[in-house]
Amino acid sequence: MLNEFVYCPRLFFYEWVEGVFAASADTLQGALRHEKLDAKTDALPAPENDGKIHSRSVMLSSETHRLIAGIDLVEGAAGVVTPVDYKKGRPRDTDDGPEAWPADRAQLCAQALILRDNGYRCDEAVAYYDATKQRVRVAIDEALVTETVQAIAAARALAAAGTIPPPLIDSPKCPRCSLVGICLPDETSFCDALPALASDAQLLLFGDDVEPLDRLVARTVATSEENVRRLIPARDDLRPLYVTGHGLIVGKRGEVLQIRNRDKTVQEVRVGEISQVSVFGNVQLTAATIQGLCWAEKPIAHFSYGGWFYGLTNGLGLKNVMLRREQFTKALDPVFCRGVARSMVASKIRNQRTLLQRNHLEPPTVILRQLKHYADLAGSAESLDELLGIEGIAARLYFEHFNGMLKIEAEGAGDAAPEFVLQLDHRNRRPPRDPVNALLSFAYSLLSKDLTITCHAVGFDPFLGFYHQLRFGRPALALDLMEGFRPLVADSTVITAINTRMVQPSDFIRIGPAVSLTASGRKGFLRAYEQRMDTLVTHPLFGYRANYRRILEVQARLLARVVTGEIATYPGFETR
Amino acid sequence: MRNTFLVCYDICDDKRLRTVFKTMRDFGDHLQYSIFECQFTPSDLVRCRHALGKIIHHKEDQVLFVDLGPVEGRGDRVITALGIPYSVIDSPCIVVDGEPES
Repeated sequence: MLNEFVYCPRLFFYEWVEGVFAASADTLQGALRHEKLDAKTDALPAPENDGKIHSRSVMLSSETHRLIAGIDLVEGAAGVVTPVDYKKGRPRDTDDGPEAWPADRAQLCAQALILRDNGYRCDEAVAYYDATKQRVRVAIDEALVTETVQAIAAARALAAAGTIPPPLIDSPKCPRCSLVGICLPDETSFCDALPALASDAQLLLFGDDVEPLDRLVARTVATSEENVRRLIPARDDLRPLYVTGHGLIVGKRGEVLQIRNRDKTVQEVRVGEISQVSVFGNVQLTAATIQGLCWAEKPIAHFSYGGWFYGLTNGLGLKNVMLRREQFTKALDPVFCRGVARSMVASKIRNQRTLLQRNHLEPPTVILRQLKHYADLAGSAESLDELLGIEGIAARLYFEHFNGMLKIEAEGAGDAAPEFVLQLDHRNRRPPRDPVNALLSFAYSLLSKDLTITCHAVGFDPFLGFYHQLRFGRPALALDLMEGFRPLVADSTVITAINTRMVQPSDFIRIGPAVSLTASGRKGFLRAYEQRMDTLVTHPLFGYRANYRRILEVQARLLARVVTGEIATYPGFETR
Repeated sequence: MRNTFLVCYDICDDKRLRTVFKTMRDFGDHLQYSIFECQFTPSDLVRCRHALGKIIHHKEDQVLFVDLGPVEGRGDRVITALGIPYSVIDSPCIVVDGEPES
């Protein structure tokens, strides 16, 4: 605990106050090393004993300092001891030779204090660095003790205060920190700088008119010397697994999922290589599979055969309730909800406009101008109802011209006229009555699944939104986050799938009034959707490229920052 | 970021060989006798090395990890086959619908 605090108070807060932990190769290697060390636990001889002391994995506590420590090794003789701590990395290089890192020094000093409190004499401690196989001695002097005691007090105060410390600025510690994808140090600092600019601009230029965020951002990006460092990887390389076959059984053997059809194994998939499992309709999962996936923290999304998103099976998930508490408080605040909702709706309309501009053969300028107008209106709407109205009008305008983006020529004259034409008549759902509507509904269903999973991963309650109001069984927050991504991910997938003929008229069937995808059509469309999710895009704020899966998470985490009050405004995701 | 690894092993004892084979099935695709093709993140590599390290006899057996570089964009440049064809399956997701992969 002390080690983390000295390394980075924010890391300490995440791991010890909020209970968030993420493993990286470094932490894993350390943990596995300790597994070996901890396999042997020795009793520590009492200080009065005269003999030699060499005890591994000693657990000791101190009443006066209110500390508890697991000490890897205690060496010494006749009551005079040295704690030894095993470290995975290498010592710090100084002019005077190798030296223990400040965080390690604090940790060793705390161990020494505990040993002293238990009646041993302890003037020295040792950090053993595995990478260089060096023992580095640390003298437990007055100065170190004072520093350590102060650090302990500061850590306690921080935990009691319950507010997260700001991220380190441009720190070399960040790139290898395992929590960097959760902490988003540079992104948070960057967004934190935005509102200050906004208020300046407000005062100087526009009276009470707030400069639109996108323009503000463009200016900030232009003036800042370089873009935000990309500390999180662009791709996570884990792939989603979709099980859609009727009557399939998913079993588990070791770390491998076996998907069987009766007694025949159809496919084997390693748990380590998938990010989530989606099952459609009549698919069975064995208890071992569910347990294994929960343990590995891979969510299972359940869909009806027709693609309706029913629910999610998750492990215990995040232990962090602080964000949830804030979320519930903020959801009651109409001004807060309005602020977030404005940004979401405005982004959505701007993204719809961008999509038209990109894909429409000749986008009518009137429509583009109108959409722009409504986006600006949304940015200053007075109430959620007003926003809902603006969103509705914009959506109608947009969907009226949706067909212009579908480039599908009439098939050869000799063929019989196909039953289905891939054109959008008007947007309809429950049930969708034509193929394009069916595709749109299915894409939204997939997207809401992914955002529900993201909400869980970030620590939100997906059912309490800021823009979408409460309704039983509706993942309102996931839908909130989804707004801006509807055109970019879902609509775009539909357009690509149709234009590149990944789905064709023959991929649809009509059941009563409803139109749905056939098995092969669904397979093609799932591929198209995931291909879209895998596309690298430039983040408009931070200037680095990452795929949509990653961007969804970054946006959800930014919203969490807004909810906990670390940054002032939610920056919607808008592509150019 | 994932890298493709060839993991090849030479194990002197049949019982250990069997255990190594079973363990490796959790980490990668069985390519040939005693050769697995794996896609490892740095964490996976640590985990795999640790798992095998607990099984093998460190004075008699040998496991080699051959790093073939990033999975992304590897295509079929790095491994080519003579005889039975070798193919990389590169898809953004895994869809199992009961029909054999076309």
